[in-house]
Amino acid sequence: MAVKLFSAIVIGSTETEMKVFELSQGRGMREIDCISTRLNLGVDAYSIGKLDVEKVEELCLVLKEFKTTMAGYKVDAYRVCATSALREIRSSLITRDYIEKQTGLNIEILSNSEQRFLDFKSIASESSSFETIIQSGTAVVDIGGNSMQISVFDNDRLITTQNIRMGKVSTREQYLPMARNNAHFEKLVLELMEHELNGFGRLYQKDRQIKNMIVVDRQLEELLKKRQKAPNSLLTISKEEFAGYYQQIVCLNPDEITERFEVSADTAPLLVPSVIFCRCLLDKMGADTIWFPEMSLGDGMCFEYAVKNKFIRTKHSFEEDIIAASRSIAKRYKSNQAHIKNMEEITLQIFDKMKKIHGLGQRERLLLQISVILHNCGKFISLTNVAECAYNIIMATDIIGLSLAERQIVANVVKFNTMDFSYYDKLALGSSISRKEYLVIAKLTAMVRVANALDRSHKQKFKNASIALRDGELIISVNSQEDLTLEKGTLEEKSEFFEEVFNVHPIIRQKKKM
Amino acid sequence: MAAIDYIKPEYYTNRELSWLDFNMRILGEARDKKNPLFERIKFLSITASNLDEFFMIRVASLKDMVHAKYTKPDIAGLKPEAQLTLIQEKAHYLVQRQYSTYNRSLVPALKQNGLELVMAHEDLTASQREFLDQYFEENIYPVLTPMAMDSSRPFPLIRNKSLNIGALISKKGEKSKAEFATVQVPAVLPRVIELPAGEDGHRFGILLEEIIEANIDKLFLNYDVVCAHPYRIMRNADLTIDEDEAEDLLKEIQKQLKKRQWGEVIRLEIEDKMDEKLLKVLKKEFAVKADDIYPISGPLDLTFLMKMYGLEGFDHLKTPPYVPQPVPALSEEPDIFEAIKKKDILLHHPYMTFNPVVDFIRKAARDPQVLAIKQTLYRVSGHSPIVAALALAAENGKQVSVLVELKARFDEENNIIWAKMLEKAGCHVIYGLVGLKTHSKITLVVRREEDGIRRYVHLGTGNYNDSTAKLYTDCGIMTCSEAIGEDATAVFNMLSGYSEPKTWNRLALAPIWLRGKFLNLIRREADHAREGRPARIIAKMNSLCDQEIIAALYEASAAGVKIDLIVRGICCLRVGIPKISENISVRSIVGTFLEHSRIFYFQNGGEEELYMGSADWMPRNLDKRVEILFPVEDKEIQEEVRHILDIQLADTLKAHELTADNTYEKIDKRGKVLLCAQDYFCQEAVQRAKKPEDPKETRVFIPAEPVEEEIS
Repeated sequence: MAVKLFSAIVIGSTETEMKVFELSQGRGMREIDCISTRLNLGVDAYSIGKLDVEKVEELCLVLKEFKTTMAGYKVDAYRVCATSALREIRSSLITRDYIEKQTGLNIEILSNSEQRFLDFKSIASESSSFETIIQSGTAVVDIGGNSMQISVFDNDRLITTQNIRMGKVSTREQYLPMARNNAHFEKLVLELMEHELNGFGRLYQKDRQIKNMIVVDRQLEELLKKRQKAPNSLLTISKEEFAGYYQQIVCLNPDEITERFEVSADTAPLLVPSVIFCRCLLDKMGADTIWFPEMSLGDGMCFEYAVKNKFIRTKHSFEEDIIAASRSIAKRYKSNQAHIKNMEEITLQIFDKMKKIHGLGQRERLLLQISVILHNCGKFISLTNVAECAYNIIMATDIIGLSLAERQIVANVVKFNTMDFSYYDKLALGSSISRKEYLVIAKLTAMVRVANALDRSHKQKFKNASIALRDGELIISVNSQEDLTLEKGTLEEKSEFFEEVFNVHPIIRQKKKM
Repeated sequence: MAAIDYIKPEYYTNRELSWLDFNMRILGEARDKKNPLFERIKFLSITASNLDEFFMIRVASLKDMVHAKYTKPDIAGLKPEAQLTLIQEKAHYLVQRQYSTYNRSLVPALKQNGLELVMAHEDLTASQREFLDQYFEENIYPVLTPMAMDSSRPFPLIRNKSLNIGALISKKGEKSKAEFATVQVPAVLPRVIELPAGEDGHRFGILLEEIIEANIDKLFLNYDVVCAHPYRIMRNADLTIDEDEAEDLLKEIQKQLKKRQWGEVIRLEIEDKMDEKLLKVLKKEFAVKADDIYPISGPLDLTFLMKMYGLEGFDHLKTPPYVPQPVPALSEEPDIFEAIKKKDILLHHPYMTFNPVVDFIRKAARDPQVLAIKQTLYRVSGHSPIVAALALAAENGKQVSVLVELKARFDEENNIIWAKMLEKAGCHVIYGLVGLKTHSKITLVVRREEDGIRRYVHLGTGNYNDSTAKLYTDCGIMTCSEAIGEDATAVFNMLSGYSEPKTWNRLALAPIWLRGKFLNLIRREADHAREGRPARIIAKMNSLCDQEIIAALYEASAAGVKIDLIVRGICCLRVGIPKISENISVRSIVGTFLEHSRIFYFQNGGEEELYMGSADWMPRNLDKRVEILFPVEDKEIQEEVRHILDIQLADTLKAHELTADNTYEKIDKRGKVLLCAQDYFCQEAVQRAKKPEDPKETRVFIPAEPVEEEIS
C-alpha cells in the first residue's frame, strides 16, 4: 500500500501525547489525529528525583488507551519516546521496564541531544519554511520543562547548539518559592537568564546577526494561537507584539492568566517562565520576529521515519548538522583542522573498503567521523593526558543527534586511539556499554589508530592516499616524496590492534613518481 | 452619545410566561377547527403532558428558590415569588381553556363522529352496564388497593402524578364521623375502556376512574361512602435541580434540601365539584395553598387522549401519515460513502427519511475499510437500529466510541440499559462529562481508503433517534471535508478526556467557544449595518432566553440589522421596543411536526454565512452543555437551507407572530398566499424524490413579506 500510518507517542514532562500520521509519497506527512493528556511528570522528577506511583499508573493507563487507538487505526509502525521526566529520575530503567511490561510498548528514553535533534526535525518537517528561514541567521530555542536548547543556524548550516539548564517547570519550582512576589520572581529569572545568555553569547553568537527566532513552546503557542488573526498561516509574532504580551502576563498569577487569556489551567503557570525566557532571548539575540512552528517531538519522530522510508525527501542534511555541531566543538577546543580533515578522509576510506569485514553501517560511519573530528580536543586541556581529557570533554558535551550510548562510543574510541584498549570485562565494568557497543568501539578504534598513525607528523603526507583491500592486506598507497619513516614506524606499532580486530594487516606502499 | 442599556428588565419577557404562551399556541391548534379532529385531540393531550413537565421542572425550581429565600430577579426583573404568582394566574387560565376546549368542542365533535365518551355511569345502557360490571370484577377490582386514614393509620403516601379517588366514608350506622379513604386508579390498566358498540355503529368509551367511582362502595364494605372524587397531585419529588439555574442557587438549594419536607406537593388537581370536607382533608394533608389547587371540570390528566388518538377506525379524522421521502442525492448513488465523497449531503427530516443516517452507521459497521466509528448519543429510540449497528461494528473489530449522555432528562434509565449493552459488545462507552450534558449530535466514521485516511462526518440538529426523526423537523449534513473531519476527531478526543485542540477549523463548541462565536457573528452584522453594508440575521431555534445574546440582538437591531427570528417555544426577547428592537420580528411555528432544527443565517455584508447546530440561544446550551455549531459550506446546500428559512418566514397558516404588546397573533392572511411550511416541505420532498434532476423546478414563488411593520 502506498499509504502508511505511523504513530508517535511522546511521554513529555508536562503532557503525554500521541500523534497519528498518514504518510504517502504524494502528500508527505499528514497528521490524522492528535491525542494529548496533561500529565505533569516533570514536577516530581525534577524536584524529588522519582515519579509518584499514581502518576506512573496514570501514565500506563493513558499509554494503554493510546495502544487501543493505534490498533483502531491499524498503524503500520510506531515509536514511543520519553523525554526528561523519565530520563532524570533515579530509577529510570526500573520505571521504564515497569511501564513497558504493563503496556507492552517499547519505550526509548531520549537523551537531551537526541530529543533536541528530533525537535529540529519536527521544525524541518514544515520543510519549505524551515529551509528558507535558516538561510539567514536563526536561533532555534526549544524551551523544555527542565532545560532549554538554543541552536544557531546560518546559511543553511547548524552553527552551534547548546543546552541551558533552565526549563519552565524547573525554574518555576525552584525560584518561585524564593521570590517575594511575581515581580521579584521576574527579576530573579531575568538575572539568571542574563547570566546564562552572556556566556552563550560570548562563546557562540559573537557578532553573528540573528534575524529570526524559532521558539518551540507549547504554552506560548496555545496563548498566541487563540489570538491569531489568520488561523491557517504560520504563527509568528513581532518583537513589539511580544513586548505587549510580556507586560500583560508577567505579573499575573496563573488564575488571572487563565481567566484573562482563556488558556487552560495547566498552561497558565508555565507561561510566566516562558515569556521571561523569550524576552531575554529576544533582547540578547536581537531578533525581530519569533516564529512558532507549532510542531512537537512527535512530528520529528514521524519525519525521521518518513525520511528513512523514503516518503519524504529533504534537501537539508541532518547528518551534516551533527557533523557541523561536532566541528564546532572541535573548533572550540582548538583542534588542528588540517590534521582532522586529512584523517577524516583516510579513516572513512578505510571504513568503506573494510565494509565486508567490519559489517558496520552508515550510523557507525558517522560515529567514526565524529570520533576523528573530536580525537584531538583533549589537547586543549593537557598535552600529556590527551586521551582522558578528550574522553571527559566528550562525555560532558551534548552532541546534537547522538544518544548517550553513541556519545559513549565516540568518547571511548577517542580515548583508545592513544591509550591501551580495555577489553570487554574491564571496559564494561561500571559502565553501561553493551557487547554490541563494545564491538563497535573496538572496530572504530582500530580504524582510527591506523589513520592517526598515517598522519603522525600532522603534515598530511598521506593527502592523496588510496586504499585497497587485497589478500588479507590493507594496502595504503601514497604518492609522496616525503620521508615516511615516522608514519611507517607508528603504523607498525598501531596496526597490531587492527590485525587483532580484523585479521587484516595494513601496509604502506610509497610511490615516488614525480 | 450615551450608551444604550440593552439589559433593562422591561426589554425582556419572563421565560416561564413565554413558555405558557407557547403551550397556549399548541392549545390553539387543538381549538383550530381546520385541523382534523383526532389531531386536535392529540394537540390537547400534548398541552397536558407539557404542562405536567413544566410544573415538575420549572415551577418546582421556582418553589425551591422561594424556600431558599433566593430573591435574585430574572432577566425580566421578576423575583421568584412574583414569577410564581404570574405563572399560577396564567396556568389557571390555560387549564380553563384546555377544559372548555375539551368539553365544548372536542367531546361534542367526537360524539358527532360516532365516538362517545360516557361521562357518567348513569348514562349507560343495560348491556353496557353488564359489560362494565364484569370488567370491574375481573380486571379492576383485583388490582385496587384502597387505603383509609384514621387515628391508627396515617395519611397514606400518594404517588407523584398518579390519579386517585378520594372518598369520605363513615362506618355503617355512624353517620357523624366521616373518615378519609383513597384508592389509586391503577396505572397498569388502560385509562379509556371501550364499551360494546351501539346498534347504529356508534362507539363508546368510558374512563377507568368513572368505573371505579361507580363501584366505590364495593371497596369499603362496612362503610357508607359519603362522597368520592378524583384528584391528582404533582410533587416536587425528584430532587434533581434544574440545570438552567445559576450555580450560587444550587448551593443554596442544597442547603435547603435537608430541611425540606419530603416531596412537597406543588399542584393539586381536583374534580371541580369535589365535596368541601374532602377537599379540606386533602388541602391539609398535602399542605397546598389555594393558588396551587386546580379545580377541573372534566377528566383529570388529559394525557389519556394520546391513547385515544391511537384508536383504530378513525383514520379519516387524522392527518394521513406522511412517509419520509428518499434523499435525491442518495438515490443516484446508493453507496453512501461514494455519495458523500462526491458532494456534501443535506438531510431535512422528517420530510426526508432518516434512513441514510442509520445506513451510514450500518454500512460503516460492515465495511472492511472502516477503522473507527464515533458517535454521541443523547436520546435514542427503544430498539434503536443505530445502537444495534454500533454493537455490530464493535463485534466486527472496529474501534467504536460512543458518548452516552445519561443526564438526558427523563431518559436516564433507558440510556443506562443500552449503554451497558454497547459496552458488552466491545464499544468504548463514555458516560458523559462531569457537570456538562453532551447535547451535540455528531458521528464520525474513519475509513482507510486507497489514498489514505478519509473521515466521514454527520452533524445534525436533532438526536440520533429514528422514531422522533419522523416527528421532529431537523437538519443534518454529511460531509467528508478534511477540515471538519479533523475537528470531529478533536471533538471526540476532547470528549474522551484528552486535551482540547489548539484551534478548531470549522466547528464551534459550547461550553467554551460557542457563546463567543455567536456574539461575534451578531456583532459583526451590527458593524456591517453601521458601515452601510448589507446586514441581516435569520435565526431559527427552539428557545431564545439568553440575556447576552438578546442584548447583542437589540444592539444589532438598533444598528439597523434586520433580524428575523423563528423561535418555536420560549422567547424572552420583545419586539417593537422603540430604538431597541424595531428591526426584529419573531415568529413561532406550531404544526404537525415539532419544529426542532436550529439554523442561523448571517448576511455578513454580502458574504453570506449559514450555520446549523444543536444549541438554542439559552444559557444552558451555551454554558452547560457540549454543543456543536457547524457551518454550511457547500453553495447548493447553502441555497437549500436558505430556502428552508424563507419558506418558514412565508408561512401564513401555522405561524404566529409576536406583537409589540407581547402576545402571539396568527398571521393576517389578507393579500398573502396561504402557505403552511410543513406541508410545503412534505410536498416538495415527494416531488424531489420523483424528479431528482432539477430541484429548483419544484419551487413555488415566495410571497413578499409585509412591507410595513405592524403598528400597535
